[in-house]
Order: sequence, then C-alpha cells, then structure tokens
Amino acid sequence: MPEEKYIVETVNLVKRFGDVVALKGVNFKVRVNEIVGLVGDNGAGKSTLVKILAGVYAPTEGEIIIKGQRFKRLTPRKAYELGIVLVHQERTLSENHTIWRNIFMGRELTGPLGFLKISEMRERAQKLLKEIGLKAIPPDFPVKYLSGGYKQGVQITRALCFEADLVILDEPTIQLSLAEVQRVLEYVRELKKRGKSSIFISHNIYHVYPVADKFVILDRGRIVGEFLKKDLTPDDLSHIMISIARTGRVPPEYREINLISS
Amino acid sequence: MGKRSVLPKQLKTPYFTGITAKYKLQIAILAIFLMLWLIFFAINPSGFSNPYTYTAMFSVAPFTIIPALSLTYVIILGEIDLSFPSVMALGALVLTLTWKTFGPTPLGLLLALSAGLLAGLLNGILITKFQIPSLIATIGTMFLWRGFILVVTQGYGIPLGEYRGLPIYEMLVGRIGIIPVQIIWTVIIALVLWVILNFHKFGAYVYYTGDNRIAAKMLGINTDKVIISVYMIHGAIAAFAGVLATLEMATFWPALGEIYLMKSIASVIVGGTPVTGGIGTIFGTFIGGLILELIETGILAVGVTGFWIRLVHGLVIIIALIAQVLIRRSEMRRMRVVE
Repeated sequence: MPEEKYIVETVNLVKRFGDVVALKGVNFKVRVNEIVGLVGDNGAGKSTLVKILAGVYAPTEGEIIIKGQRFKRLTPRKAYELGIVLVHQERTLSENHTIWRNIFMGRELTGPLGFLKISEMRERAQKLLKEIGLKAIPPDFPVKYLSGGYKQGVQITRALCFEADLVILDEPTIQLSLAEVQRVLEYVRELKKRGKSSIFISHNIYHVYPVADKFVILDRGRIVGEFLKKDLTPDDLSHIMISIARTGRVPPEYREINLISS
Repeated sequence: MGKRSVLPKQLKTPYFTGITAKYKLQIAILAIFLMLWLIFFAINPSGFSNPYTYTAMFSVAPFTIIPALSLTYVIILGEIDLSFPSVMALGALVLTLTWKTFGPTPLGLLLALSAGLLAGLLNGILITKFQIPSLIATIGTMFLWRGFILVVTQGYGIPLGEYRGLPIYEMLVGRIGIIPVQIIWTVIIALVLWVILNFHKFGAYVYYTGDNRIAAKMLGINTDKVIISVYMIHGAIAAFAGVLATLEMATFWPALGEIYLMKSIASVIVGGTPVTGGIGTIFGTFIGGLILELIETGILAVGVTGFWIRLVHGLVIIIALIAQVLIRRSEMRRMRVVE
C-alpha cells in the first residue's frame, strides 16, 4: 500500500464556537487500514474534530479531503455516503427498536414504493452479527436490553454492513466493564482485519493502546504529538499526556520520535 | 470471541418465539376492551346483543378514532398536537363553503384535505424551522384556526341536510345495511397507517425520529422533513374526520372537534403509545379509541346518567397506564442482557 494513501485528511481545520476556538489549524491524516488513537484532555478538540469528519459540524476554515475529494464541509448524509460512520456511546442507536432495524437505520433496503425488505435485512443482519462474533443475539432483539459492549457491537456491525471505510469510535469503552472493553477492542481489530480504517477516541490510553497503530495527541485545539506505536510503551504515552497537560509540550526526550515537529 | 458471545441465558427464553409475548401490550389492551364489553353485556344483555347499539357506536366512534390514528404518529415522534380539533372544523368549513358555492362535488373534499395539509404544514414549520415546542406551537394554531372559523361563520352553524342521500354524501357517512360507512373509512385509514408505520421506510423514520432524533440526524435522516410530513398527514386526516363528523350531523358547527381533543389523545395513550415517543402502535390506538367509545355507549345503555362517563374514562385510562407500566417493567427485568 503506498504510504501517501490517506482515507481522510484535513487541511488547516479551524473551528470557532463564538469566541471559543476549538480547533486551531489541524492537519490530521488517517491512512487506509490504519487505526489512529486520538487522545487528549477534555476540551482538546477531539470530539469537535471527529464531528467535522462525520458532517455534524461545519468547519470555520480549512478543508477536508476524503478519498481524494476536497470538501469545505460535509453533512451527516454526505459523510455517510462517503463511508464515514460515527460510533458513539449509545447515541446513534434507536434503543426501542430491534438490532436489525438499527443496523440498517438510515440506509434501509427497500423495494418498490419504499417498502422495507424486512426479511432480507434480518438475514443480512444475522449474517453480519455472526461474522463479528455476535452470533448468539437474534436480530429481532431490542437494542435497549443489550449491555454497553453489545450496543457498540451493533454500531460496528452497522459500519460493516454499510461497507464503511472509516469508522470513528468516540469513547467506545466509556462506562464499560473490563470484559466488555475487551469485546469492543475485538470488534475494532475485526474492522482492521477487513481493511477498514478507524479513529479511536479515548480518555483511557490503556484501552486505545492495544489496538492503535498511531497516536495523535490533541491539546487545546492543536495537534501537539504524533507517535507510532512501535516507538512507545503505554507508560511512555501516559507520561507524554501528563506532561502535555501540565506544560502544553511533549517532553524533550520524546521529541525525536514525535512526527510533529514543534 | 466465540466464548464471550455465548447466548446470555435471558435470550434462551422463548420470549421472541411466541406471538403472544411479542404483542403482550396490544393483547392487554384488547383484553381490557373485551373485559369491559363483557361487563356491559352482563349488565344489559339485550342492549349489547342488539346490532343497532353497535351501529350507534360505530357511527360516532370514527370522529375520535380517525384523528387519534394519525395523532399516534405525532406522539411517536415525541411531539403533540392540540390544534387538530380546530383543523377538523377548518376542513369541515372548507367543505361546507365549497359545497354551498359550487355544489356538492369531490372538489369540496379535496379542498378540505388541502386545508388540513396546509394547517399541518404550518404546525410542522413552526416546530422544526422555528423550533417552537409542539405543545406551544399547536396551542397557537388551535386558537388561530378556531378564531378564523368564528370570524368567517360569526359563530353560526351551517345546515347541510339538503345534500343527504347524494352519492358523495352516502359514500362518506352513509350506511351499508346497518354498518356506518365512516367506520369502514376508519378501518381503511388504520390499515394504511399501520402498513406505513410497520413496513415502509417512512414509518421507520417516524419511529427513529421519535426514539433518538440526534441519532436519526447523524445517520442522514432528514428529521425535519419527517416531522413536517407527519403533521401534514395528521392535518389532512383530521380535516377528513371533521368532514365526516359534520356530514353525519348534517350541520357545520363552529365548535366542531373540541370534544375530541382529550378523547383522541386518551385513545392514543390508552392504546399503549407513551408520550415520550419512539414506540407506539396503530392497533393500540384503534382499540384504545374503541374502549373509550364502548364506555360511553355502555354507560348510557346500562341506564345510569352520562355523568358517569368521564369518571369511568378516567378510571380506565389510569388502569390501562398502570398495566402498561407493569408490563414494561416486567419486560425490562426479564430481558436485560448482563455480562
């Protein structure tokens, strides 16, 4: 795979909310089949950045390049059509409805006059659930009765179903039990096996470390660090994060391996 | 992976295999209806074995049930509409004036339905584009349309008796044998709305918009369009119900519709559609409406004063709501998937 092949790229992305500048010229890239761990403190701009990629927010300045196409802004539908799926902690699910309905939500298979192809959707959902390791859950099961980890599984299955190329996981492990975290990490690995790219946002570097290929550290609207996993241990990453929180800088001993020159 | 995804023991229960379990709530509502019917039948067997009792009931029940059916969509969206009684009267007025001017043609019905669509469009725009809460927005339009009707009619009724017997009249509120045609319209509307809600993409979007609007938007569903469309459909259906009510009484009354406000809302609630939105059924509303109508018919048929009607309505609404809460709670306990 050529190195310059990016699934998504942002160019000098700026986002202002009134007087608050959430992103201050962010150049963020994700390669094909890469898992990027996007980390940073509260208010660093992680969620703002991914919401721009998912079309939820429009950037104030800058550009988004997806598969070579340049955009000034996206809409959720456009992002969806371009293969970007946002997996949120329970937020993109219609809890009262069944798993199969949730998997196809917004992209229902329909026949003439817009009638739903229910049996086809159920069957496809069942097949996909099986593939991702959720084979035991019937597709007619209402999502509200699933535990947090299973819910993430449903959202990831949805991403697979739509042949998403980039899956954005916004804090997918928050409030999950240890076993459930492992389950979600399995799903993320499964996405990689299938050639997908992911952005994994987490406060907990011990959740993101095992699956990510690269770590991008945001601090107050800027990317201050970019490290390859092979250059770091989880403790190194933790050390860097604490230092950034205190001083706003990457500690000198890590500057050589930082792909962002400061 | 395989080990962790072993079927949780709750899923091994035959919950989803039995049709009775899946439709527990609807069955409970139907059971309440049948129980009430049995009680009334036991008290007054001759009244309740007389087919004309049902003719009477089914000739007026549609005016509560028809608007309640489309109101179910509104409530599934997590919204409300208080303006539909005024829209019922607006539709009826448009038909009345058109017939008085151009004669009794389908044009009157067409214009009445269009008036309903426009009234719904206004509600939808106020709620989505101006983001006025539906409760407030529809209080505004409720007064607006009622005021408009009072100004136009100066508060006077308009008789329509001269059109009785005409084919168009009979097609809307005539009788087939002893069956009032309006109950057939009610069943047709219920079936169409049921099919759309359960088997059409639009119905799915109504559910998702009500259940999780943010998610629906994020997944590319145009929720504003869904909300506006639902209010327009509801407006047209309310106008149609208004036309039926007016023709049944053979007179246009400027106060038409007001008595149906609470009854229609109660039909939806008794039918198992929670005001929180996201879920709900057309079947439930249909039976909910029949329950309220049965109570009215039953109380009059057993020979006590009509003052009892509201009291029993209140009791049945409370009982139905408690039953729903209990069913949902037991389902929650039974189904929760834990690690």
